[in-house]
Amino acid sequence: MIRVVTLDSYDDKQLAKFSRTLYTAFGVGSEHSGQFELPAGLPEPLDAEKVLDAVKGVRAYKDDKVLYLTSRKLKERELPSGTAPTNGFSRFGKDKAIITSHGYKDLEVGYKAVSRHALHQLGHLWELHHCLDPRCSMYPPWTPSFAAGEPTFCTFCREKSEQKIRLAKS
Amino acid sequence: MAEGLQLAVGDRVVYPNQGVCLVSAIDVKEVAGQKLTFVTMRREEDGAVVMVPQNKVATIGVRKVATPEEVEQIYSFLRSDSDKADLDWKQRARTNLDRMTQGGILGLAEVVKGLQVLSELRPLPTKERELYDNARHLLVSEVAAALNIPEVNAEDSIDIVLFPPGRERPKRTVAEFKPRGEDDEDLGLDGGLLGLDGDLDLPPDEEEAPPEEEEASSEEGAEEGGEEEEAPKARKKTAKAEDAPAGEAGAEGEPPKRKRGRPPKPKPEGEAAAAAPAAPKKRGRPPKPKPEGEAAAPAAPKKRGRPPKKKPEGETE
Repeated sequence: MIRVVTLDSYDDKQLAKFSRTLYTAFGVGSEHSGQFELPAGLPEPLDAEKVLDAVKGVRAYKDDKVLYLTSRKLKERELPSGTAPTNGFSRFGKDKAIITSHGYKDLEVGYKAVSRHALHQLGHLWELHHCLDPRCSMYPPWTPSFAAGEPTFCTFCREKSEQKIRLAKS
Repeated sequence: MAEGLQLAVGDRVVYPNQGVCLVSAIDVKEVAGQKLTFVTMRREEDGAVVMVPQNKVATIGVRKVATPEEVEQIYSFLRSDSDKADLDWKQRARTNLDRMTQGGILGLAEVVKGLQVLSELRPLPTKERELYDNARHLLVSEVAAALNIPEVNAEDSIDIVLFPPGRERPKRTVAEFKPRGEDDEDLGLDGGLLGLDGDLDLPPDEEEAPPEEEEASSEEGAEEGGEEEEAPKARKKTAKAEDAPAGEAGAEGEPPKRKRGRPPKPKPEGEAAAAAPAAPKKRGRPPKPKPEGEAAAPAAPKKRGRPPKKKPEGETE
């Protein structure tokens, strides 16, 4: 089950459409599990890793994946080889991810891009690595063409994600 | 792998093709009457346990996790414009397999970089896509272990180098994948031999093969596996030819000017000039020689089926 937890207010209809997209991509249930307040003391732009640790109280089963959705900006990450533009963050193979819709007025306007980022981060939760196919949502998200693509996976990534989900269910 | 690798409980090591493991125990066990020291390792990814005799550790290729300095070298390697992957898939598969089994971090980076650059020329086949994913997984987990950072950050740090932000990946051409210091003429290769646009660069006199040659070659081709049957087969053949002519033509200095296809058969001396143009050769089995004398009278059409029984002499209906 994918649980979408909003950290800011979003339109319900848009959230329902967003959840349907996630359901289509992964073939597992997806729902909006409520809105949570960000703990005080987190400066903007938000440090994605800290947010994942700070937000508590989301009820989820062991094999659920929790996706936080915020409209606030996420801080770029300083990595050993350079700076990574950050529209989302997740812990590889774990259960929590965060994405931002910053830069778009609402989910409807940035539907494709936000959905694609969501698929990307959720893919990391199911142990998918970056892909070579520019049409796939697992393509590195800082490339110029990423936001324009459809929220889908390539055959390889789709099969791999299905396999991982099957393993998690069994 | 250093010969004098000393492992202790709690060390993080890399098991080739398996990933980062933690040494959980080193103990002596008796196996078939022999006392052997076993190193027990637990794979960090999923907790799988493997026990290796201590004297086999070096042979297998187990090594300690790379240092941050080595990871820096990996970044510089990924940034550089290194040698391209071999276009011959067999050679490429062999090289990549060696790199994976040797287990070095540079080998992993070479596989990832090679296949990533190759994918800019054409999509990877499934097996290579899987290999790419495995190599990437091992590389990412080792970089994460070496720098003590989350795996997602390790992967992003690798991909920032491979896919620089704000830039699309370049389109590669076959010419970029040719070995350095050699050009087409030396190898006797051209676009066709590399599997691309083979028919476009034919000289006009060779574009249309004479029908006689075609027929002759088709007969002989059956014996030799039908070399010139179809274009795809010809392409396969050219892939094989990549290795062979390199030694022959490249060694001579002068590029031999070869015509495509089978060389014409030498004609017997004297006959060549006098012979009139031969009638087009008929295909199939040659007709049986007819017995003399019968040649003039046309034979009655042969009836099919069993021949009628001979009637006994003197009998009438």
